[in-house]
Amino acid sequence: MTEKHEHTAERHLRKKHLMLDPLPRGQMNAMVMESMHATSWKFWVVFAVLAAITAWGLFYSWGVLMLDGLGMAGVNRPSYWGIFLVNTVFWIGISHAGTFISAILRVFKAEFRRPFTRAAELMTTFGLIQAGFSILMHMGRVWLAYWLLPYPNQRQLWPNVHSPLTWDLLAITTYLLASTMYLFLPLIPDLAMARDRSTGWRKTFYKILALGFRGTEGEWTHLRTAMNIFAFAIIPVMFSVHTIVSWDFAMATRPGWSSTVFGPYFVIGALHSGMGAVVVVLAIVRATMKHMDYFIRTEHFEAIGKLMLIISMGWGYFFFNDYIVQWYGGDVWTKQLLHWHEAGPLGWMWFAMLIFNVLIPWLVLWNRTWRSNPWIMLTVGLLINVGMWLERYIIIPISLTINRMPFTWRMYEPGIEIPLGIGTLAFFILLYLIASRLIPLVPVWEVQEGQMAHSLKKVGRETVVTVAELE
Amino acid sequence: MTTSAQTSLLAVFSDIEPAADAIEQLRLLGIGDDCMNVISGIPVTEAMLGRPRQWTNVPRLALGGAVIGFGAGLFLAFVAPNLYPIVVGGRPYASFPPAVIILFELTMLVMLLATFLGVFLDSFFPNYRPMHYVPEISDGKIAILIECPPADESRMITTLRKLGAESVQFAEAQHL
Amino acid sequence: MKPIDLSLFGAKGAIVEAAEGKWGMAIDQDLCTGCQACVVACAMENNVPFVGEIDAGYGRSMHWIRIERFWEGEYPEIRMTPYRPMLCQQCGNAPCEPVCPAYATVHSQSERINLQVYNRCVGTRYCANNCPYQVRSFNWRDYTDERVNDAIATLKNQYNPDVTVRRRGVMEKCTFCIQRIHRAQDRAKAEGREVQDGEFAPACAQACPADAIVFGRIDDLRSRVSRLIRQKHGVHYLEELGTQPRVTYLVGGAS
Repeated sequence: MTEKHEHTAERHLRKKHLMLDPLPRGQMNAMVMESMHATSWKFWVVFAVLAAITAWGLFYSWGVLMLDGLGMAGVNRPSYWGIFLVNTVFWIGISHAGTFISAILRVFKAEFRRPFTRAAELMTTFGLIQAGFSILMHMGRVWLAYWLLPYPNQRQLWPNVHSPLTWDLLAITTYLLASTMYLFLPLIPDLAMARDRSTGWRKTFYKILALGFRGTEGEWTHLRTAMNIFAFAIIPVMFSVHTIVSWDFAMATRPGWSSTVFGPYFVIGALHSGMGAVVVVLAIVRATMKHMDYFIRTEHFEAIGKLMLIISMGWGYFFFNDYIVQWYGGDVWTKQLLHWHEAGPLGWMWFAMLIFNVLIPWLVLWNRTWRSNPWIMLTVGLLINVGMWLERYIIIPISLTINRMPFTWRMYEPGIEIPLGIGTLAFFILLYLIASRLIPLVPVWEVQEGQMAHSLKKVGRETVVTVAELE
Repeated sequence: MTTSAQTSLLAVFSDIEPAADAIEQLRLLGIGDDCMNVISGIPVTEAMLGRPRQWTNVPRLALGGAVIGFGAGLFLAFVAPNLYPIVVGGRPYASFPPAVIILFELTMLVMLLATFLGVFLDSFFPNYRPMHYVPEISDGKIAILIECPPADESRMITTLRKLGAESVQFAEAQHL
Repeated sequence: MKPIDLSLFGAKGAIVEAAEGKWGMAIDQDLCTGCQACVVACAMENNVPFVGEIDAGYGRSMHWIRIERFWEGEYPEIRMTPYRPMLCQQCGNAPCEPVCPAYATVHSQSERINLQVYNRCVGTRYCANNCPYQVRSFNWRDYTDERVNDAIATLKNQYNPDVTVRRRGVMEKCTFCIQRIHRAQDRAKAEGREVQDGEFAPACAQACPADAIVFGRIDDLRSRVSRLIRQKHGVHYLEELGTQPRVTYLVGGAS
């Protein structure tokens, strides 16, 4: 009787955890390869639609913007910054998820990360590309953007190191390069795997990218050492990026912006939207790609859901911290601004932000069953991203409306920002679609390594999971 | 590096245990550690196989990169503003707090670039020359590559077979 | 008691900046009639383009000086407050300057005013956000191109050759008519003398029919502007931000 119980418990654990449900590596390789190859007509329809939206929303509209000037957008006095900056902050926020999962969870040996580190890292790189586009759209003379790079003009005038935008440029460049390299390093063994199993143009493609990797002791040692350095070093870089983004606002002499808590408030906000986006991507990948339900299971949604709940609480804490200090200060302009946020014509955004970022996650994510449902998690993730976008909209154009010169107060009405914003979103998904056909989306070697480390152990009468530290 | 006087044997194992045993036995047969190389589809550490520690230059290169990045940061934060001094907002030409940010970002940037480059230098990437390899390795197998003068070839092959090698073959360098 | 060495705190620079202010302006709000002559004169002197009705209505007018009007109380019991001409305050400690990544807005050591370097501006608009007075204007479109802005076609014939015509995507702002300052200085130098008080004025001061705007050397205690700014009813707007404005407003002197 008890033996039977144990078997049920064991079977249950094995079904639930990918790490306890090992398949031969060859089979997992074949599954990942097939998930890249199995492309139905639906994929091409979505691909074509997204390509069309990208062509119109991003490239055509940007051409119009460059030819006609920023008058095409909704920016004015006093909202000199608008949706372009909102989108920049939003995409940088999305990009934080990849690093959070692949670096912080790697450093802390959170085993559930293994199957989706790459899916999250891809979001970092592709999100930063959209952030870069958005900030370039924002510039009045984008064709001179290279003037901001750290090089001197003929008279030895270098960029201004006092400017938060110079710090921003350095930080985002560092982050984009570092996260791309950190995406590529663990990918090399998987590219070698794909090279060994491909023919035709794919063979050439993987052969070039795999760089001749075989998996010798030396290669693995160099790779592991480098990945370890990256995992630790990229965490402070990630924190610095969104802190510096927040300083673009916090350093300014403006009511509502000059807040000392903006740094951590922005970082946690970035993680909030980033984790929300990860869960959306995972739900879609799992539902649409072949064999992905083996690699991405409800346990993963459950684990991410817990993190999302904690991050949502952290966001609520920092939001309130920022709010009450501003409110208590009683500065006349700040008072006007807070009133404008809540009771102004766009006050609904302020309430929607709180509902999507705090209320809904807190109501849903405490429940393990709901947390384990990919579709519920997808909905919550989407709503959090809407909420976080609204948060940035409130911080930028809505807050810019209120300044110390009431004569200039005027509403901001978006113009060409809307197609351009849709274009960046479409381009992000398009890049992801292309990557899902070309890059093994699951780091198979990391999954196998994890499966080797996991086993079941009996403690008294109970069967529990144990993990061996292989490194 | 392989001369005609040397034999290349590639023995494929499906598990760590027999592979580790085989390495031990080969050592008893007089094959030095520098004649053997392990090729695997997952990172199998040297300790698991009882192999000597692998040397890697990656941390040193990373440190070198960090030093170069810090130096570049010092230049950008303290020297560059004095090459064409301009007053903005009543500030000194170069000041410490913004310099902290510049120093941090440039140190990290060059350090990580050097780490990445270090993997390429240490592993001789990219390398598209013919190499000893079997595709089963990326299916999770562990292969031992022995490159030695052909002294005890037949004895080695039988020992390896006996120890559970799935296949033992004379390896020929091939395009991957 | 030993005096505290102010330079230890970096305070000396700020005090020097405040003391060494060179050019300054006094605006008597009690005299201002809100006629907008200064706005027109400024636009003509400095080639500030006309942006069209729609853009002007949307907060994109580019005037370097504007007349602010406010009402107090609820209708019908309303009372107008004095007109307030608002222009770049040429801050001694300007918030707009350090935030520019390209050094496109810098402090002039010789004139002690803010400069905008049009050809270095890449249009991040950070300076405009950071200006507490909101007096910077941005070229949202090519307003000086008649294919874009047909209203400019005839105005082109009266451009001031001393002032650059700005293109789309750059920030601009009041310069205290620096071209006039330089012309006066050059003439004085050629004649071997100092620039005299009242010898020249920026376009806004020259055009003001009520003589509400007075310009001159504020480091010269005998100059007219210097005497005006020492009036008890002189105020610096938003001086609590530490911007050290060079424009002094005289308000409520009659009451």
